[in-house]
Amino acid sequence: MSAFSSILHKENTGLRTRLLIHGAGIILMAAVFWVFISAVEVSRIESRESDNEIQKYLDLSKMDFGDPADRLLFRESLDVFYAGQTQRNDSVVTAIDNLRQRQFSDPAYKTGDTLDGLTWNMVRRLTGMYLQFIAVYGIVLLLIYLLAQRIAVYRFIMMKQHRESYLTQALELVRNARANRVGSMWGSAVRKLGLLLAKALVKGIVLMLLFTPAYVIAYSVKTTIDTSSILFMILLGIVSNGVLIHTANKFFTFLVSESRKGYVQTAIVKNLHASYEWDAPEGIPMRTLLQIKHGFRSHVFQSIFINARFQFIPALKEHASFLVTGLIIIEMALNIQGHFCYELLQQILYRQYDIAAAIIFGIFLTIKATEIAIDIWEHKEKRKYGY
Amino acid sequence: MAIRTFTGNSWLDKLTSKKDLLWLTIWIAGLGVLWIWDALFLNAPAFARLQTAFLNSLLTGLMVVLFSLALGWFLGVSLNTLEHSKSKIGFAVLSFVTDILRSIPQIIAVLIGYVVLTILLHNGIIRSSFVQMVWIAGTIAIAVFLEVADTIRQRIDYFRTLDFVDAMLCCGIKERRIINVEILWKNSRSHMLHKLIAIFGISIFLQCSIDFIISVGLSTDVSLINFPMTLGNLLANVDSKQDILALSNLFTEPGYVSVIFTRHLQGLSVAFCIVFSMLCIYMIANGIVRRHKLA
Amino acid sequence: MNERKYTIRIASEGRALVAIDDFRLAKSAITVLLGESGIGKSLISMAIAGLLDPDDLDVHIDGKPYAAYLRSQEAIDIRRNGFFVFQEPSSHLNPLLTLRAQLREGSLAAAPDEGRILKKLWQGSSSSGVESILDVYPKPYRPSGGEKQRILAAMAFKKMAASAAHTQESLFIFDEPTGNLDNRLRNEFLDLLVENFRNQMTTIVLITHDYSTISRFTNIYPTVSKNILYRELLLEHGKLHLRDFLPGEYLSWLEKRNATTRTGQKTETVLRLQPHVKVFGRTLSISRDTEGQNPEPLLIRKGAVTYLKAPSGVGKTTIVKLMMGLIKPETMSMELGSAVYSEKTNRKVWAQRVWGRQMTMVFQHADEALNQNSKVKDVFDGLPIAVPLNEKIIVKSLSELFEEEPSRDFLNIRIKYLSGGQKQRLNLLRSLILRTDILILDEPLNGLDFASAAKVIAKIEMKLQSGFGVLVISHNEEIFDTLVATANIYYLHSSSSRLTLPDTSKR
Repeated sequence: MSAFSSILHKENTGLRTRLLIHGAGIILMAAVFWVFISAVEVSRIESRESDNEIQKYLDLSKMDFGDPADRLLFRESLDVFYAGQTQRNDSVVTAIDNLRQRQFSDPAYKTGDTLDGLTWNMVRRLTGMYLQFIAVYGIVLLLIYLLAQRIAVYRFIMMKQHRESYLTQALELVRNARANRVGSMWGSAVRKLGLLLAKALVKGIVLMLLFTPAYVIAYSVKTTIDTSSILFMILLGIVSNGVLIHTANKFFTFLVSESRKGYVQTAIVKNLHASYEWDAPEGIPMRTLLQIKHGFRSHVFQSIFINARFQFIPALKEHASFLVTGLIIIEMALNIQGHFCYELLQQILYRQYDIAAAIIFGIFLTIKATEIAIDIWEHKEKRKYGY
Repeated sequence: MAIRTFTGNSWLDKLTSKKDLLWLTIWIAGLGVLWIWDALFLNAPAFARLQTAFLNSLLTGLMVVLFSLALGWFLGVSLNTLEHSKSKIGFAVLSFVTDILRSIPQIIAVLIGYVVLTILLHNGIIRSSFVQMVWIAGTIAIAVFLEVADTIRQRIDYFRTLDFVDAMLCCGIKERRIINVEILWKNSRSHMLHKLIAIFGISIFLQCSIDFIISVGLSTDVSLINFPMTLGNLLANVDSKQDILALSNLFTEPGYVSVIFTRHLQGLSVAFCIVFSMLCIYMIANGIVRRHKLA
Repeated sequence: MNERKYTIRIASEGRALVAIDDFRLAKSAITVLLGESGIGKSLISMAIAGLLDPDDLDVHIDGKPYAAYLRSQEAIDIRRNGFFVFQEPSSHLNPLLTLRAQLREGSLAAAPDEGRILKKLWQGSSSSGVESILDVYPKPYRPSGGEKQRILAAMAFKKMAASAAHTQESLFIFDEPTGNLDNRLRNEFLDLLVENFRNQMTTIVLITHDYSTISRFTNIYPTVSKNILYRELLLEHGKLHLRDFLPGEYLSWLEKRNATTRTGQKTETVLRLQPHVKVFGRTLSISRDTEGQNPEPLLIRKGAVTYLKAPSGVGKTTIVKLMMGLIKPETMSMELGSAVYSEKTNRKVWAQRVWGRQMTMVFQHADEALNQNSKVKDVFDGLPIAVPLNEKIIVKSLSELFEEEPSRDFLNIRIKYLSGGQKQRLNLLRSLILRTDILILDEPLNGLDFASAAKVIAKIEMKLQSGFGVLVISHNEEIFDTLVATANIYYLHSSSSRLTLPDTSKR
């Protein structure tokens, strides 16, 4: 509560404006969806009334509308009862045909669903699914935030150590071996080459895995793993669709960009530690990668890291949005029954557009909530540093 | 520890020092190897389908890039102009709309586009495959073009923080020229190229994902057969799904690896094409950042 | 005098940035390193200080790869005991660490004398004390550029005190340390530098474009003069070399200029700015007395130079940007020709009538003002000139400020590959080519060597004869005082001693 009242303090004009825009966006979208849902509901009522009217004809005993003779008899009867209204009578026959066709082909009719639209019952069902979706999303977002930073820090330090890729090292080894042409060294060179190529292969597979769409991973392990479990979804959410690698890359970019800034040079002339060797006296302790809170005290990297992290916070918004896209794809493409986004697909299939709209609004709210949370977090960080 | 030792001037050294070109070469070479392998071991109809799918995906991706560039440029420059105009209403409204669009996940925007497309297909309004691809590209572009607009705005804003814009204005140079020629054309081409390559990658990913989703069921009237053959479309095909499922066998029967690359080639080729392309596009984009020092 | 001679080669992606065979550094002396900006002074100094990144640049010192130099005892000692004050103060301070913490980081933690050093550097300051900014996280707009520059200088002096026992193995480099300081603060800094040098006789390199430094050292510290060497880095026939610069070259030129009479005749007024301007909640006022007791309108006359002076950070750049309509004031009234411009004037009016037509302005940072990716000949594209400039006209214009007639190759060079001095001359030429009534010059001698500065002054004098009205803001008071009649000198004051305006100079 105190955090909320501090947001409303007049010093926080920038944040208040942002919150106002988010709030207005939510209200506008709510209004748009409400109008849409109401329109669908009105159209459903009209359609149901029309269907009920038509159904009366279909319910006529001893009448088989599949039989051409019965159909002809029915059409002539209409012409007798409604003489001179040919157009009206044609419409009735067409409507009967349409309804019969829908009863055959529409999955909602086939599965016996009621097509009642956004009922309270449905809202309750959706709420449960939504909460589960948010829980998975929250966990994945948090883990990606932590993992991406660690991957980026590791990659940055490896870059500072001038580590070349395994393939480049292998290439260099081949060159040196050709240049030296010393027979006795061939055996060890071949062993080294084999090891480097094996490492390159493993790295390549891991990299490919990180870029693989979730459905490809899921299908390739489907017969051995229960791919509909929450744990599997979380794992898939983290490693697939390129979300983790792109987020880590963003943080890495910030690290590189910060490392080129002038204050790093000033830190160096002040004799802060500047070695990037793991666990060297003036280097980087490897254990910091495993700690929840990073600490690189007395090292120039501390300044680089905190400045990169500061910029990473607002950038999280776009990654959060992409993560939601990834989770939606996972739920939809994997056919995971009873999940929020699969339900969206089902409702589109049943042409229950009001329910689909409600689900989309829920997803929109999730992203908006993330954006609001990140804006508040960013604002707090900025205040901390006197912005 | 391996220390960088390359100092030579051979074509290989030049290529390894330009990571974007190196990965472009790797991409083309990798796809080339796959093409030869498939030509040898994949049945002719499937091979033809794979080639069509690849070309269609490529074409759609390029159209997404083109549309995104046009939309992003227009929006980015419009926002900048409105921001510096006397009345701020136009800027507020446009920012508000883009803010809302930003909060809609890309896949949802594309899904909505596909729902509309199925209606158009069902009603016979759209028939040609090319028009369908244009529609799909347009839909995906609407979902992703904000990234281009953001890059354009960032570039303009960056130059506005310098004396660049003011100094030119004081000399009587038109603001339109300063923005479009001096900032965006002369100073932001590599930034844009980097962003457009990323957009191309996203478009391939979204195309494949949406096709896979359609295979699960989006409409009773329209199915994958009604859409143009793309990589995602081919991957979502039952045969391809079976091929991917066959990978599971490797967990229980590692020896299966000897036949998997000949017996389940369609699915694996499509999956490889998608994943390998995503990886290479990412590496090319990173190479551009590194070579042009964009970070 | 004991000297160390260096052969230095620096290249990037196969392109040579610096190649010099005779870079000499005198031990236990102050070397004042002159030369136009971008010629390689900073790069050479950073190479010797061991601060270049071998990943980004291909560096060789004395024929050996940079890695070997970095491992040498000489480089290790310099890094351990020396310091480098970087040119651009804003980017060289960590924005997420308070200034106090940054003053006490690393080897500065145990360094003595912090209080004394800060007191001395802030002695001549018109702003509030240093204590008020020590707990601030540095931002582009706060503290001011001058304050940041003094904080960086304070770090160097702290390190000097900490390395007192190793004076022979240390090297202190100050790269343009007074660029953001007014004359009084600059003198305080130079006094502290000489005081420290006298005590420790350490090796100091002072990179500067401010030739007033020569007058200060010569006039105030004649006894130390024998330990002060003036050297100029020059590019001649495509080759870089270091020459001894005789202080007399500058001093006699200055003397000669002082002897000439400055025109103070009252010609037609082309611009009149009312003395009070409100912007960002502050009032800026103009007067002809240094104390600001009698505010007066600022006048720019035909064929005359008006000189606007103020301490660092008061808002000189802000007020000229207001006059150019680049910043919207809260209140302002300016008569230009027959029209009155105020806070109500629409931006479109400035664009249609003023920019490039009645007035133009030369910004102080040529690096920012010019498009680095344009070719030299493209600098004049888009200017509001009736007849498009052909190559012949461009060459003729360029030859007015460049040593020799530019070749076709020169016209096709990208601006990013020019030296800072060449860029600054192009920056000036772009405005000088326009036929405006008024020319505003913000630090026009920035980055120029002595010869170019003299040429620019001569060019301004020529323009005055053709009827231009000129407004100058510059730290080079010693030089511009020789150009301006006393009646045309104005002083700017702010209602607040500390400027907390947004960063209108973007620095």
